[in-house]
Amino acid sequence: MLHQLGTVPGMIGAASLLSQQSLSEAATSSANLGCHFPAKAKRVIHLFMNGGPFQGDLFDPKPALLKYAGQRPDGADLVTERPTGGLLPSPFKFSPCGESGVPVSELLPQLSQHIDDICVLRSMHADNPNHGPALLQMNNGTILPTRPSMGAWFLYGLGTENKNLPGYVVLCPGRPVRFSILWNSSFLPSAHQGTYINHSSIEPSKMIPHLRNTKWDKETQRRQLDLLQQLDSQVQQGNARDSAFDARIQSMETAFRMQFQASDAFDLNRESKQTRTDYGEGHFSNGCLLARRLVERGVRFVQVYYGNGQPWDTHSGHDEKVPKLCKDIDQPIAALLADLKQRGLLEDTLIVWGGEFGRTPTSENGNGRDHNHHGFTMWMAGGGVKGGMTYGETDDFGFKAVHNKMHVHDLHATMLHLMGLDHERLTFKHAGRDYRLTDVHGRVVKEVIA
Amino acid sequence: MNVAENTFSRYRLEIEQGFWGRDAILCKQVFGFYIGNSMRFDFNKLFLMTLSIFSSCAFGWAEEEVERPAASAESIEYFEKKVRPLLVKHCYSCHSSEAKTVHGGLKLDTAHDFFEVGGDSGAVVIPGNPEESLLIAAIRYDDDADTEMPPKGKISDTEIAELTAWVKRGAPFPPDENPVARESKEIDFAAAKKFWSFVPVKKQADPAVEHSKWPQQRLDHFVLAAMEREQLSPAPEADRATLLRRLAYDLTGLPPTPDEVEAFVNDASPNAYEKQVDQLLQSSQFGERWARVWLDLARYTDRTASWLDSKGQAHLYRDWVVQAMNDDVPYDEFIHRQLATDLMPETGPEDSPALGFIGLSPTYWKELKLPSEIIKVIVADEWEERVDVVSRTFLGLTVACARCHDHKFDPVTMQDYYALAGVFASSRLTGRPLIDEEEFEPVRKARAEVKKLQDQLANLKKKKPLPKEEIAELNTKIKEVKESTPLYDSPMAAGLIEEALYIERKGKTAQEGTNLVYKAGSQDLNLFIRGNPNRLGDVVPRRFLQVLSNETSQPFRNGSGRLELAQSITNDAAPLAARVMVNRIWLSYFGRGLVETPSNFGISGERPSHPKLLDDLAARFIENGWSLKTLHREIVLSATYRQSSKKDGPDLQRDPDNLWLSRMNRKRLGVEAWRDAMLAVSGELDSTIGGPSLALTDDANHRRTLYGTIHRRDMSTMLLMHDFPDPTAHNAQRLSTTTALQGLYALNGPLLLNRAEALAKRLATEFPDEDEKRIQQAYKLLFSRPPTPREIEIGLAFLTGISDKSSPETWAQYTHVLLASNEFLFIN
Repeated sequence: MLHQLGTVPGMIGAASLLSQQSLSEAATSSANLGCHFPAKAKRVIHLFMNGGPFQGDLFDPKPALLKYAGQRPDGADLVTERPTGGLLPSPFKFSPCGESGVPVSELLPQLSQHIDDICVLRSMHADNPNHGPALLQMNNGTILPTRPSMGAWFLYGLGTENKNLPGYVVLCPGRPVRFSILWNSSFLPSAHQGTYINHSSIEPSKMIPHLRNTKWDKETQRRQLDLLQQLDSQVQQGNARDSAFDARIQSMETAFRMQFQASDAFDLNRESKQTRTDYGEGHFSNGCLLARRLVERGVRFVQVYYGNGQPWDTHSGHDEKVPKLCKDIDQPIAALLADLKQRGLLEDTLIVWGGEFGRTPTSENGNGRDHNHHGFTMWMAGGGVKGGMTYGETDDFGFKAVHNKMHVHDLHATMLHLMGLDHERLTFKHAGRDYRLTDVHGRVVKEVIA
Repeated sequence: MNVAENTFSRYRLEIEQGFWGRDAILCKQVFGFYIGNSMRFDFNKLFLMTLSIFSSCAFGWAEEEVERPAASAESIEYFEKKVRPLLVKHCYSCHSSEAKTVHGGLKLDTAHDFFEVGGDSGAVVIPGNPEESLLIAAIRYDDDADTEMPPKGKISDTEIAELTAWVKRGAPFPPDENPVARESKEIDFAAAKKFWSFVPVKKQADPAVEHSKWPQQRLDHFVLAAMEREQLSPAPEADRATLLRRLAYDLTGLPPTPDEVEAFVNDASPNAYEKQVDQLLQSSQFGERWARVWLDLARYTDRTASWLDSKGQAHLYRDWVVQAMNDDVPYDEFIHRQLATDLMPETGPEDSPALGFIGLSPTYWKELKLPSEIIKVIVADEWEERVDVVSRTFLGLTVACARCHDHKFDPVTMQDYYALAGVFASSRLTGRPLIDEEEFEPVRKARAEVKKLQDQLANLKKKKPLPKEEIAELNTKIKEVKESTPLYDSPMAAGLIEEALYIERKGKTAQEGTNLVYKAGSQDLNLFIRGNPNRLGDVVPRRFLQVLSNETSQPFRNGSGRLELAQSITNDAAPLAARVMVNRIWLSYFGRGLVETPSNFGISGERPSHPKLLDDLAARFIENGWSLKTLHREIVLSATYRQSSKKDGPDLQRDPDNLWLSRMNRKRLGVEAWRDAMLAVSGELDSTIGGPSLALTDDANHRRTLYGTIHRRDMSTMLLMHDFPDPTAHNAQRLSTTTALQGLYALNGPLLLNRAEALAKRLATEFPDEDEKRIQQAYKLLFSRPPTPREIEIGLAFLTGISDKSSPETWAQYTHVLLASNEFLFIN
């Protein structure tokens, strides 16, 4: 297949428009070229609790569950898509935390110490109660696999700050459900797609595809690169300047450097023993620490999936599984927040926590909880977000969002806003119309912005 | 930039003067009710109504008439003090003339909008009757309400009580001060049909040119005329080696061999080039190369997610397209067969793979425990996907834009959309045999029997202790059924059958789940208000797009209407379909289409750079029986195509983007040709044609990249990082990006490392102990030219730089660099 570089129909993204560069350069253009207004956040870490945690265990206490345990009180709107039983109280205790007194569950003792930096969004809701569509919606705004993910939109709008690293990195120790369509670039240029890193081994050369050469050492590679430059410039002599041709020569040099830069960025052994201890052990700890190393080096968007498959999907044995899951995330997230703060990065790094939906307050088969997209909790911290507050409310049982409801579109609009992008102006022309991350929806929730 | 700006202002102008008649329809009173904004999505109904207004319509509509008491000063004061503030606070940000976007078509700030227009769902308030008023149901968050308002959360009980009381009092509202004439949009189809891409194609007179010796083919006159107008002159013809390399990649996706290049360079016959063209056009590799162009449009995939049904063997469709390209199946027939070969008497079941165009459509997960309201949305999304791929691929129109509202730019209505969606709502994706029904019937029965036995087997295997004897017995039985049935393993193509899908509640309540019910026959869909399948409008008969139809066009009657749709595309819409396809072929050769938006030939698409050329090519395409090979032949034989890509001087300044084609564009190989060429030059290429796909991650897979497995859910990272399009959606044109990850792949990926080694070995075998000859041969294999003395010098210095003598290692390092070089990737 032959095709020409440089002309890209429909490119009207901010970064590309303002820079007037070729696509390849736009894809790696420096930060903030495309901001519509001053950005509060420059980068995002999305901690993805895939499977969907139950809000009533962690951040949205509902004493009424105990009062009506096992019942479905008259008049209560508890109609779930699949049949569920009576109300199932959460056995976990809450107490007011920090100066703000926002209640947090006993399952998150370390994280609760950071509550004054956290804005708890209690009234999230989405459109579909199945994992696949909900995962897609959280990532691309729709339940369809044919739209670009938000990370791709961020890169498209803002470019990346470090062209020796991928601008959008997805970390998962294994494979989340639906896999690569969750971070695809769809109709946006493919340079904006997420780079998936399986960090179940923390050896950098195992994480990044083709990072190391299995045959030649560094000196040999340097000789090869020098030869390549020589040959390419021989060929280019007598030809008109060709940005696509030049860009590729440049990209080979970048790739050469990346081998060492990325090895460094992904190498947790370069952290102090103290830092490793602070984050704790386990895949999620490693993921959080990798995320910090990456954003520190200018990676625009890092997603850390909790684990392979959908570990938070507790249809049975819910009360036994949740403490273990929480133990895995409590220390590393607390360490991440403290670490970023201490390095002065928290103020312009947006942390987003949550699943693709929440779970039902009613029981599934006595000891489980089913999916619930009508009302669930997410939280944000850093990056220009007000800490120590809750936004929105669910009903008495934590089933449906009822007050200050915040749809996934609203979350996306707010995230883009914090990044300096107007969700109604960040558009890409495709198939005859302008597409947006928020489609025709989305409200910037100004109440949570500091 | 100037060009872009001009184009932009050009189409802005057309939007402003577009097909949407700007004459406001006065808000006229007919039988006591208004026709206003609520009609803007339903002008067909408006048209019908004006015809039949004195008959049936009058009854139905009279009920909507609203009686409101004349508002007294006192009641207006009450409204302004108690009610208006609530509307301002909770509603006006989305439902007023001041709203940035008016949601649901509903405005609540004038009496006219409030009571006469209403929203998409009609009137929202029945004065005096809060229980029947949608507004009250919505703010109460009633279970059976279509919608809950405001979406941010329920307003307070006091506020709800206040609004309820107001409706009960008869909903007093101040009269509008300036009842304005309502603007209604109505398409003037007669004007719309005059749009450049819809009008009939015409052969054009050869334009006069000064440089009259230059043209080789008819198309050259048009290109040259444009050049001369822009004060440009053509580049000289490329040298023979460059030309053959270009031609071979373009026609077959593979490089020419050194022998072929040498023979062509030394061929003194006047038709030397023509012979090459004809030979390559006849090669089987032609179909492999050009099928891939089509498969991008058709969002071809070998595999989908495991939880979605597989309807048949995908590769049969891919191989069908390869064969169709090689056989030069006329393009109109190519369309008919892909949409409806099952309905064509002249084709038999062996042609079933053609249906893969729709048969391999993406499907979305439907959990049938969920309420039908949710499942309906998912199915509606699937139908939208079919309308999208058919309209963009064949017509270059974005009809799917009209699912929720009339198309914002093009003369395509919601009715048009649902008229097409009904065709796909009447076609079920399913496996189809490649043999006659009579032959297949026993196979079908045997397969059902085996399925039953296998289910029994699965149950037995769960038992403890394992009933070994029974299991063995069943296994034998299964084997017997299979072996006693001739053609039991006969392949199934991913096809379609004529069945309509209905989504029904399983029980009485939504919570009991959903049934997908397929019924033989076809269905017309109701229009979905705002694209929402849970809010039905009027029934829309299946038919072709109105703007492309003529006076005699009829609704579809033959089953689902797929064949009639296909025929409409190539008859009623022949000019458009031909323009779109000619442009796609042109784009593949020159890297830029004559129209730069290959799947959008509508108002918001670009205008052709060479309108007469496109018209002439399209007219002759149809005249030549829609023969693609004839078109290919004319293009590659043209002087335009044969130009060198090198040029300097003022032309480069005058036309830096080469819009006027006064040189050839340098192009970059797509990922398929890049990988195939590596296998070809290393001598490893397995040129078997057709068959099931093979994983690209398997280094022993030496077949062409066309046969590498494409998996929608789990795409090959090698393909993804090299701009291979997402196989879930129609892809109009490949983009080219250059990234460091591609660089890493070139430096360290197994593909280049292993091909480099194989290439080094091949050279060593052919020329033992002769470094210089090996360098010569490497250049001829990879770049179709001998190296310059300087290049030989550089090569030898590298090979012997470390230990005065070349080694297998330094040779593999050297060939690796050649494979990674720009010259190998770019085509002059």
